[in-house]
Amino acid sequence: METLRLSGVRKSYGIGTPLEVEVLHGIDLVLERGEFAALMGPSGSGKTTLLNVIGLLDRPNAGRLFIEGRETGGLDEADLTRMRGRSIGFVFQYHYLLPAFTALENVMMPILAARGRPDDEMRATAATLLDRVGLTPWRDNKATEISGGQQQRVAIARALAMKPVLVLADEPSGNLDTQSADGVFDVLRAINETSQTTFLIVTHDPRLAQRCDRIIELVDGRIVSDRKNPNVVRRG
Amino acid sequence: MNRLAFFEWIVAVRFMREGLMQTLLIILGVGLGGGVIVFMSALLSGLQTNVVRRTLNYQAPIVILPPDQVARPLRATEGAEIAAQVQPRSQRLRSIDQWQKIRDEVERMPDVVAVTPIVAGPGFVLRGDASKSVTITGIEPETYFRVIALDEKIIAGRFDVGPLDIIIGTELAKDLGANVGDKFRLATASGATATLTAIGIFDFGNKGVNERNVYVALRSAQNLLDLVGGASAINVKVRDPFTAETIAETIRAGTDLQVESWIVTNAQFFTAMRAQILTNTLIRIFVGLTVALGIASVLVVSVIQKSKEIGILRAMGASRGQVLRVFLIQGGAMALAGSVLGSLLAWTFLVIWRGVARNPDGTPMFIVQIEPSLFAIAMVAATVVGILAAAAPARRAARLDPVVAMRS
Repeated sequence: METLRLSGVRKSYGIGTPLEVEVLHGIDLVLERGEFAALMGPSGSGKTTLLNVIGLLDRPNAGRLFIEGRETGGLDEADLTRMRGRSIGFVFQYHYLLPAFTALENVMMPILAARGRPDDEMRATAATLLDRVGLTPWRDNKATEISGGQQQRVAIARALAMKPVLVLADEPSGNLDTQSADGVFDVLRAINETSQTTFLIVTHDPRLAQRCDRIIELVDGRIVSDRKNPNVVRRG
Repeated sequence: MNRLAFFEWIVAVRFMREGLMQTLLIILGVGLGGGVIVFMSALLSGLQTNVVRRTLNYQAPIVILPPDQVARPLRATEGAEIAAQVQPRSQRLRSIDQWQKIRDEVERMPDVVAVTPIVAGPGFVLRGDASKSVTITGIEPETYFRVIALDEKIIAGRFDVGPLDIIIGTELAKDLGANVGDKFRLATASGATATLTAIGIFDFGNKGVNERNVYVALRSAQNLLDLVGGASAINVKVRDPFTAETIAETIRAGTDLQVESWIVTNAQFFTAMRAQILTNTLIRIFVGLTVALGIASVLVVSVIQKSKEIGILRAMGASRGQVLRVFLIQGGAMALAGSVLGSLLAWTFLVIWRGVARNPDGTPMFIVQIEPSLFAIAMVAATVVGILAAAAPARRAARLDPVVAMRS
């Protein structure tokens, strides 16, 4: 079953100005359910732009985008926000946790935003997710009171709170030391295997890319290579 | 997280707690501003009520008097006058023509509470070697006390004045060295005299009135002032003193009577009051604006500081409306908290004021009512101002593009 389909997606910035530049030149891409894919490419190749388009944070100028078979082109801002909340989880290079809230509350946030009022069920969901990323002892710590690797793992738990079909991770371990980066990757991989969530992970690091099932390379806004990885490294 | 709270409230409260210093400062600012407004409003309304009450203590809201007598010029033929100058007539004390009929008509008017005829004129009180000039007011006790609460101002003796009785003020009693039960001679310019017994002493809280006014029965005054069966004026009490002038105009219409409302006879007081209200309104507007600008500026800074967090909330599925409400709630909540503080401050000031603002004899200078409704109004108004002030920063937050916000 397809989680994501892009056909002929183009994205330009500065349309109508002398600085107009096309960043994505017609991307075609399909991600099946449960895939764990790496997106690689030099800086400026359009990786983040592609991720923003897939994540419904940005609209393409041309082409079509389907999430779980649903065309997104005709949706208005409010529908896109709703769909983004329900179907897509984000993990960024920086954790973007809300400093005023505890780890557990940060994980609850997406469910709280969708449902309006806190309840025991969302608290339990968040606690389970924090347990899966190994942070139960720190769940009542403020987001600023834990280490960088732990913060990123809270961000991963938050990305999973709404049980999304697709998790988009933009260099999730970019700010971390090797050991923490491996830890974060282990968590992502474990979640992928147990819940069949589809992952698309932007990374610069070939070593981490080797831990993915599929490696997609983007250069100058075009997919130049898209191959299965026959020798997946299971543990960092 | 409080289970009764909702998403926007939870986020708003945490944001405010995060910037605690900013939040407390603005609450303090709103509190001071609100406190000044509440205090001034209470003081002003207390002052007004007090002056109105004191004035209406001894003055009827509407007084009906006979028309002035006019000297008619002599004319030889139509348009040609014999005398080039006509001296205005001096006004002698006269009765209102058919005053009973007028009294009954006025009494039937809506908004008129009570009507009473009086006979008032000059005279002398004589006791031993002392003589004092006074204004003799002849009253019908049963109706008069419904217009002027003289009965409540009696500090010694009784007030049911009979044909041989007189009620005098404290100052006059002091000047004459008299007390309840003493006898006086009351004389008028026409030569009429009567010997009357003081049955009561009143205190209107006004030296002039306490010194000059004496009250006798209507019949006695009619005899003394040579107005047998007459009434020199009709006093009218109305439900709302501030409508007195309108009612006076209605009575005046179609007659040649002089109808004076206390609003016209106290024109200076009303001008002063209007000026005070205007000043107070201006101060309220400017303090309100200052408070609103303070709240807006704190929230503008907060939106900039929190743009990353707003971006992530939006990426997580929070709608624009939710982000908008997070900031509107902050504006409203800070203003409400500030107005609660302001009300407490104002209440404290008012209590202190009550203690400090006293006459030399220790009685309160005037009574300031601490009305709960004033505080309620202040809180509602402050919350509305806070929400309005938050509108611009909140819209700005709601419009943030999550991608741009997180990159910044």
